[in-house]
Amino acid sequence: MSRINIVKTILWMIVGLASAVGITRFVFGLGATTNLNDTTPWGLWIGFDVMGGVALAAGGFVITAIFYIMRREEFKPMVKPAVLTAFLGYIAVIVSLLFDLGLPWNIWHMMFYWNPHSPLFEVGWCVMLYTTVLLLEFSPVPLEKASRYARVREFLMKFRFPLVLLGIMLSTLHQSSLGSLILIMPFKLPDLWYTSILPIQFFISAVALGLMMVSFESLVSTWLYRRKPETHLIAKLGKAAAWVLGIYLAVKLGALIAGGRFGLIFSGSWESFVYISELMIGVIVPIIIFAIPRFKNSVGGQWLGAFMVVFGIAFNRINVGGLTMVGTTGDFYVPSWMEISLTLGVISSAILVFLFMIEKFHIWERPPANPEADPLKLPDFDRSSEAWLGTPEISGRIKYSLAYVICFALGLGLISGDKIYSHGIENVPVRPARGGDSLFIDGNRDGFGVMFAHKNHEKVLGGEKSCAECHHLNMPLDKQSGCYNCHRLMYESADAFGHDWHASPTGSNLNCFACHTPGLEKTASSVKDCQDCHNDLLVAGAPIKIDQYMAPAYADAMHGLCLDCHKNRAVQFTDKKNIDICSACHKSYSPDHFKPEMLAKLQDRYFNHVLLPEIKDIE
Amino acid sequence: MIAILTDTTKCIGCLKCVAACKEINKLGREVPRIWHKDDGLSARNWTSIIQKPDSHYVRKQCRHCLEPACVQACPVGALHKTPEGAVIYDKGKCLGCRYCMMACPYGIPRYDWDQTVPYVQKCILCYSRIKDGVQPACTEICPEKATIFGERDELIKEAHRRIDENPARYINRVWGEYEVGGTSVLYISDIDLDFLAVKADLGTKSLPSTTELAMKSVPFAFVGMGAFMYGLNWVIKRRIKLQGENDEKEA
Repeated sequence: MSRINIVKTILWMIVGLASAVGITRFVFGLGATTNLNDTTPWGLWIGFDVMGGVALAAGGFVITAIFYIMRREEFKPMVKPAVLTAFLGYIAVIVSLLFDLGLPWNIWHMMFYWNPHSPLFEVGWCVMLYTTVLLLEFSPVPLEKASRYARVREFLMKFRFPLVLLGIMLSTLHQSSLGSLILIMPFKLPDLWYTSILPIQFFISAVALGLMMVSFESLVSTWLYRRKPETHLIAKLGKAAAWVLGIYLAVKLGALIAGGRFGLIFSGSWESFVYISELMIGVIVPIIIFAIPRFKNSVGGQWLGAFMVVFGIAFNRINVGGLTMVGTTGDFYVPSWMEISLTLGVISSAILVFLFMIEKFHIWERPPANPEADPLKLPDFDRSSEAWLGTPEISGRIKYSLAYVICFALGLGLISGDKIYSHGIENVPVRPARGGDSLFIDGNRDGFGVMFAHKNHEKVLGGEKSCAECHHLNMPLDKQSGCYNCHRLMYESADAFGHDWHASPTGSNLNCFACHTPGLEKTASSVKDCQDCHNDLLVAGAPIKIDQYMAPAYADAMHGLCLDCHKNRAVQFTDKKNIDICSACHKSYSPDHFKPEMLAKLQDRYFNHVLLPEIKDIE
Repeated sequence: MIAILTDTTKCIGCLKCVAACKEINKLGREVPRIWHKDDGLSARNWTSIIQKPDSHYVRKQCRHCLEPACVQACPVGALHKTPEGAVIYDKGKCLGCRYCMMACPYGIPRYDWDQTVPYVQKCILCYSRIKDGVQPACTEICPEKATIFGERDELIKEAHRRIDENPARYINRVWGEYEVGGTSVLYISDIDLDFLAVKADLGTKSLPSTTELAMKSVPFAFVGMGAFMYGLNWVIKRRIKLQGENDEKEA
């Protein structure tokens, strides 16, 4: 397999995996696919895909400014790929956003319900307008092949300059507005990053990143298609980038000094470490690389420099977009594998479209230096048999489809786990404890283990045949039944069957006689069995009786009734003052029942205790 | 402008407000705790009681800021500060960007993570009730009058009156009077309540004002960049032209 074949196969594999994840995201929701929560509502998809993606697409406006505005004709070979990269980058941002939005089908609301004070409103409009502009800027390239649309193409070419100008103006707004987006979170973003000139910093770094992204994209595509790297052009871009990065560094440090926060860099906190590495990778080392002519003019130096800027500035976007807010929120969010694979999948699809465009349309301005070794070269055509002799090097339809299908199936296989069926709550392995009559389970579905008197439940519910009472209470998307499925009320016994829910319009909406026999009094004795309706959930003959559906209150279930404590427990205490402290009794948990972080959480819960509400009329 | 004043020294932690809130707003069964902070608020709990050492109970709920960051943040105006003072949510407009959750300095808005059609969930100060002149469910049910409802100015006066009458009992501060430009939900307390916000010491500057300058300079940046680029192009074009003429002359 050739270089391009291997890369494309890998890309198709990632796209296959991501397709499975993408479907899952829409079928099961955000909670089931991401590790986001109320504390960290923005994750990888915003921090990298949107914040980083827009910055990575900055090459389009930077190169068009250099070529059309500054009239540097030598950069002509870079214009088309740069505009294409920018266009695909923006499409990738929009696609990622569709996955991240909770209600993506409402995305058009941005056009009709206006809140012009919102920075996100500005971001949204810039995305819409600039993507349109990029489409118009780029469409003459594919239109070249369709002579039918020659007049459309001519028309678009006429408006090239105003389009380019508009694109630059929109990009200026857009790159900076991503910084404005964060301005409203002064308490969440650490002082090292937060400054009121964040929009300006975002714009300057986007220019540098744009220059280097164009270089990086040029290096990669020339390497893939075995062409001569555009070393002299990239050296010029590198020199410009070094200057812009220098300004960026000055503005960044200047803002810190002006705010009296310069010392924070050397405070030794993890934030300072992140800050220093961000500046070293994305700014300082690349400036040095592009300041030394020997590195600047070498392919290796250019690879390294371009990659470091791309990585470093994207890292900055992730940091500002949420990563460094961990210190304030205290929630260390790590993206789930599904989030990561979807992100990679969106990028891979964009690259695949880019490669497709390169192969099909007139993107390269110059013919290959060595036409014989060109991967795009068509095989010979035998006129007598009217057949191609061999296949072009880039073709590999079967390989790609296989790669896609296999990884799609693999993705579905990986996903159909417990996490999905219980909406993101993972199954906690049940393990026996204290001699086997109790189990240690995650009964409240909150990551904390509780003792569950399994044998006792079995006895009370009617012996060996009663298994189905709990193990088949499963809601359609549920794997096991949590304690609260039956013990719903805090201080009173609860309706474990859910009578009101079955009757309510928002629940099952059944009328009385769907269950109760007409003519008889509507009591528990005049009613159908569960399995008459739930034949798919219950095994035949499961001994569930509706007349036994009252479960003890939550507190009683967890603690026993009052006398339990007062008779057996309270008498043992000498320190009766502190009898209401949980740990007065709950000290018998041996440490090996808890991971250290769980123990810390438990202690935290005691000192920052949230009381459970007493809920009536559930559902 | 209406408001709620919560006096934590009076709260006995009976949770009746939490239960009443659930009932009135039909919030239903709690979602698993993997999606919450440990403050009891969630998509199905718009208010909660946080217990602090030595039998202190603090009710947490939306602060209904006078200049709410969430309202400024929402790109489609799904969140809205009514003239009465409540910050309410229109789920028909929402597109689920969760920017309001990021912007809130108190970490109040919560999300239906367990739903495939999720909405933002937060206290709306029982808007349908206060519109009709009825007080919110939580203040109505409170047996100790620990959380009371009224005009904001009067409640601030009342808060200061209580502090002045009993300076030993309270910390001399009304939480919400000036914080982030003032909030409609006020607290007086004998313990420090800074834990209710994402960070202690929020300052008195309202959050929408942080983005104001950036948003106001948008048209100038847009036109300015356009003019600069056009001018630059004009200058360079002219130079190239002159250069060409010079070359011709020399030739």
